Amino acid sequence: MSGSRNAFAVIVLLALPLLTGSDYLLHLLVLCVLFSILALSYNVTLGYIGELSLGHSAFFGIGAYASAIVSVRYGFSFWSGIFLGVTVAAAVGLVIGVATLRIKGPQFAIVTLGLGGIMHLVCSHWVGLTNGPMGITRIPPPTPIGLGELVVSFDTARSFYYLALMFLVVIIAICAVTRQSRLGRAFVSVRENDHLAASVGVDVFTTKLAAFVISTAMAGLGGVLYAHYMRVISPDVFGVHYVVAMLIMVTAGGRGTILGPIVGAVIYVVLLELLRPVGALRLIAFGVILAVCVIKFPDGIVGFLSRRNLLRRMPSRMDRKSAA
Amino acid sequence: MLDIDILLQQVTNGLVNGIGYVLIALGLTIVFGVMKVVNFAHGEFYMLGAYATYIVTGAMGTNYLIAVPVAILVVAAIGVLANYVFFRPTRSQHEVVGLMSSVALGLILMNGVLFLFSAEPKTIASPFSDKVINVGPVFLTEQRLLSMVCAAFMVAGAWLFVTKTRLGKMMQATAQNIDGASLSGINVDRVYMTTFALGCGLAASAGALLGPLVSIYPTLGEWAVLKAFVVVIVGGLGSIPGAIIAGIALGLIEALSAGYISTALQDVFGYAAIIVVLMFMPQGLFGRRAK
Repeated sequence: MSGSRNAFAVIVLLALPLLTGSDYLLHLLVLCVLFSILALSYNVTLGYIGELSLGHSAFFGIGAYASAIVSVRYGFSFWSGIFLGVTVAAAVGLVIGVATLRIKGPQFAIVTLGLGGIMHLVCSHWVGLTNGPMGITRIPPPTPIGLGELVVSFDTARSFYYLALMFLVVIIAICAVTRQSRLGRAFVSVRENDHLAASVGVDVFTTKLAAFVISTAMAGLGGVLYAHYMRVISPDVFGVHYVVAMLIMVTAGGRGTILGPIVGAVIYVVLLELLRPVGALRLIAFGVILAVCVIKFPDGIVGFLSRRNLLRRMPSRMDRKSAA
Repeated sequence: MLDIDILLQQVTNGLVNGIGYVLIALGLTIVFGVMKVVNFAHGEFYMLGAYATYIVTGAMGTNYLIAVPVAILVVAAIGVLANYVFFRPTRSQHEVVGLMSSVALGLILMNGVLFLFSAEPKTIASPFSDKVINVGPVFLTEQRLLSMVCAAFMVAGAWLFVTKTRLGKMMQATAQNIDGASLSGINVDRVYMTTFALGCGLAASAGALLGPLVSIYPTLGEWAVLKAFVVVIVGGLGSIPGAIIAGIALGLIEALSAGYISTALQDVFGYAAIIVVLMFMPQGLFGRRAK
């Protein structure tokens, strides 16, 4: 059942950009995919192990800057930029995870906020490396790939969409496989009750560290893609508002699921555009959405809908039984 | 000796800022201590206090000295409402849920003010801002002196309230054991409401007293909550004496490092203090014990 549904989803996703020629709509599609990758990455920390990190945009920024610097200054290709961006983000994630993951709950949120803040400041002041507040411009689009005679380039929104979609599918696959694995079950056990998990032999710290590194590597990938799509980045990418955006996407969509963060990302991008005319009211609306989801719908939209489905299906099954 | 004079001036400036930091941080630490809520929107109540003072003095032309208590009361009332909507429903849940709720509250308050007053910086008119007085070799504006003295009184008052009054003791009892407190007849709901109103009122008083020293803008709260976190983490989450010592220390260290080293490092220092303390002594320098 879910196989045919997935196939249908893939066909829709492949066909979407062919339905429109508008650069603006194509741009929004790309943003949906990029933010889906970020939301899925944040979901590994917030949804799977249940820790609220307020420094997650730092890894997005590290990925973006690592790839931008090597491709602009040293002419590295996009593909080696991806490798480097993901590796650096994961390495920094490993170091920070080792240092901070013994702290949990609100204190973890505060310490990660501090780390994110420091990286923002470093990025703004280390002009020699990052060009400071001026940011890095003229980042090249992803290097074209040659398939025999055919050369595929990624300098339009439509072609970039397919490239980003490919990475999104990879990320979804990683999330799905991890979630079903022994490690994924360990994630959830740590989230639900870390003492109980430890008592049945789950190494809580290592489990959290694994999730954190996976999460930061994915954020690094998102950063690399973002940098090569926007072609311009500034220390702004380290800002807390990106974390708040990810928090809204994951919470509104549904923490701990795979579909949820994607739905959240699409809603975020679409609402951000629809509400553009109302200025500051737009962020108030996002605040209200976040509050309503946190307070009334802790499982997010996807969790809420699937539970409703379940409720609707259950009586019908019972009806059938009683009829038989 | 010129050097001693400069040093004295810087120490004085540091003290004024430090007492301001204590006042900002005190509400955060009390709210955490009693309600176990890490309120990321705390800085917004500081900002609201400054804007409320700006409205009462500016648009209504009221005297600054009357505007300050009015602003504090108005913001405390907003705090009561915020507690009812954002924190009462999340109380029985994990601490992180309340934290996310406070992120939403902060987003709403900051952008609400941005929407109503635009991003343009405003100044609070105070009759004391221009008058300079000399205390020996040290120069102070009357406003700075007034802020420092009032802030010291507010801090002392809050401390006396929590340690000496019946309601304050109820707050302490609730902080220690919520079930025990409600079993012995304490209305926990009302204690939480009072605690949050007190926390917001203290933040607002800081905004009202320190606002005239700077220009105010809607994102002021981000700065304030960060300073409050530094003070509260270093002093120990939930500890009032810790917040007082850490706040004054932070003010002095910032003033001296700005005078003798560099201003660019100030924020890095604050973040680093948070990280180092949380990693090596999570209970802070004066906190009783880690949770």
